[in-house]
Amino acid sequence: MRARRPEASLPVAALAVTVIAFVLVPTYTGSALTSFDVYNMFQILARLGLLTLALGLTMIAGEFDLSVVGTYAVGGMLTVQAGQQHWAWGLLAALGAGAAIGLLQGGLIARLKIPSMPVTLATYIALLGLTSALSGGLTKTYSNATVTLWVDQSLLTYFSPRSLITLGLFVVAAVVLSLSRWGRELRAIGGDRRAARVAGVGVDRLIVGTFVASGVLSALGGSLLSFSLGSANPDPGVQPLIVAAAAALLGGVSLAGGRGHPLGLLAGSLAVALLAEIVAVAAVPQYVSQLFFAGLLGIIVVIDAPDLHSALVRLRTRLRSSHHPRTSIQESADV
Amino acid sequence: MNVMSARPRSAAPIRRPGLVVDGVLLLAVLAAIVLALTTDRFLTVANAKAILTSASLVGIAALGLTLITIGGSAVSLAISPSVAAVGMIFLSAQSLGLIAALVLAVLCGTLITGLQGAVVGYAAANPVVLTIAASFAITGIATGVSGGSTVSPTAGGYDRLNATPGGVALSVYVLIGLALIVEWTLRRTGFGRSLYLIGENRRAARAAGLPVGRMTAVAWLGAGALFAVTAAFTAAFNTSANVNLGGTLTFDAIAAVLAGGTPISGGRGSALRTLAGAVLIAAASDILLLRGYSTGVQIMVKGVIVLVVVVTVHLRTRGSRA
Repeated sequence: MRARRPEASLPVAALAVTVIAFVLVPTYTGSALTSFDVYNMFQILARLGLLTLALGLTMIAGEFDLSVVGTYAVGGMLTVQAGQQHWAWGLLAALGAGAAIGLLQGGLIARLKIPSMPVTLATYIALLGLTSALSGGLTKTYSNATVTLWVDQSLLTYFSPRSLITLGLFVVAAVVLSLSRWGRELRAIGGDRRAARVAGVGVDRLIVGTFVASGVLSALGGSLLSFSLGSANPDPGVQPLIVAAAAALLGGVSLAGGRGHPLGLLAGSLAVALLAEIVAVAAVPQYVSQLFFAGLLGIIVVIDAPDLHSALVRLRTRLRSSHHPRTSIQESADV
Repeated sequence: MNVMSARPRSAAPIRRPGLVVDGVLLLAVLAAIVLALTTDRFLTVANAKAILTSASLVGIAALGLTLITIGGSAVSLAISPSVAAVGMIFLSAQSLGLIAALVLAVLCGTLITGLQGAVVGYAAANPVVLTIAASFAITGIATGVSGGSTVSPTAGGYDRLNATPGGVALSVYVLIGLALIVEWTLRRTGFGRSLYLIGENRRAARAAGLPVGRMTAVAWLGAGALFAVTAAFTAAFNTSANVNLGGTLTFDAIAAVLAGGTPISGGRGSALRTLAGAVLIAAASDILLLRGYSTGVQIMVKGVIVLVVVVTVHLRTRGSRA
């Protein structure tokens, strides 16, 4: 236990703290929690979960897929534009586009060994443009109200088909990565790619596969959101990316890659969804919750920073030697 | 060692990827020139001025980002919110006079971005995620302080920034002047040279005794000052400012830096390249606009240009190193 890094227990701790905060909500709002609050929390999870899973998988592999929000927007828009006749065509178009985007990016990144950040950033810009071109820059409404009602109907009191699909995909990802060798290999290429290659891991195929999975999951996330809202927004902004990144980092993946598990990502997403629901129930202004998420993300990134410890040590020695040159000498003499 | 060196050789026979890349690049440039020349009203003085003006605001911010990128801290995703916040400060400080408001704006911009740079420099925090967090924080604070409303100027001094000496917008002169200053700083000063070394290899720079943390923080301070200049011009142009003043500036500036051929990994690149990248993207958008394409298509082409340049630069540097 002593050898485990603190990040390994981060998802459990984050989830535990937010669950306690959620249960204690009545003590500071004065009104009891209803089953609708739980249902609503799972709806928020459905909104951010698939993006978190998509981004988190690429982060475990040591990459960073900034384009998830672009794919999310394209998926949502295609669902509405191609799915006016039948919802299945829209869904198919979105998933196909997601897979194609992932294939293109993964292929470029794996074959040419380009860092994923600039590639996915360029794709993100291009995809936002594509979404805007598809819609003429306008929000498009989806006329099929039956589907809208179906995806958000309440099932088993707390769930909807949308949140169950999201939870189901987390479970599928967890089972696949735990039972097959892909889970180990994914962490291996994230931790030390060269060593993984020498050990015989099919690095290129795995990277392409990860980006395809990321593309399909983000597009599905956009699809489900469009079905739920009954419309598609050409520019979702950067907020979904920020929230997904915070959830993934709370879920125990590292910015350096090589760490993380889908169940951790689920715990991170649940923690963020619980926080968002607490903010909604307590009726805090939006900018306060923005500041809250900023603080959360800032703390995580600073804790994750490799040079922080040595910088603090240096600062301490410098402060000591400049202010109390005598004491530091005496201390060392005493020791 | 043998295992590793044998595999790529058998997979790829000896060839020169640089040559193919150069050929494709040449064709693309030729196609772009033909496209430009056959576009109605492209080759007019008025249109050239329009391109330069639209490149100027993005270009000044992109010069700041160039310092960040060359120094090895990838990109800042907090440019738009910083510009919005500084723009709001600039307009609300107009009653102090133009110069005082400008100084205040630059001070605030330097502080906002420099703080992020200090964390990146001293703690080696991931700049992308840190600036994502910062963009949330800046927008949150700006909304909280302004109450979410739009700031109007408290006096008319700002309008002098909208001047057009010689028929060209003042921001174009400022862009060119600042590009030369940044280029000179990067090439001719000790700070500039250390910045390239830190971007190329942070560990080696530290081993060589360079103050990596301080240099990185200074690069971000400079970037913050340049973002503030963009903010002052943008706010003056819009004559009002709210939290959305920055618009898509973050991604426009990144696109300009990358389209200029500065690699995101740092250690290479220049201010003049960024200037060229900003003009290239402005010219491409201008051609599409003149040919009647929508904003969406313009953004899409911007993304494709960035992708093509990123891949090309990567292939060429790999080719020359091998």
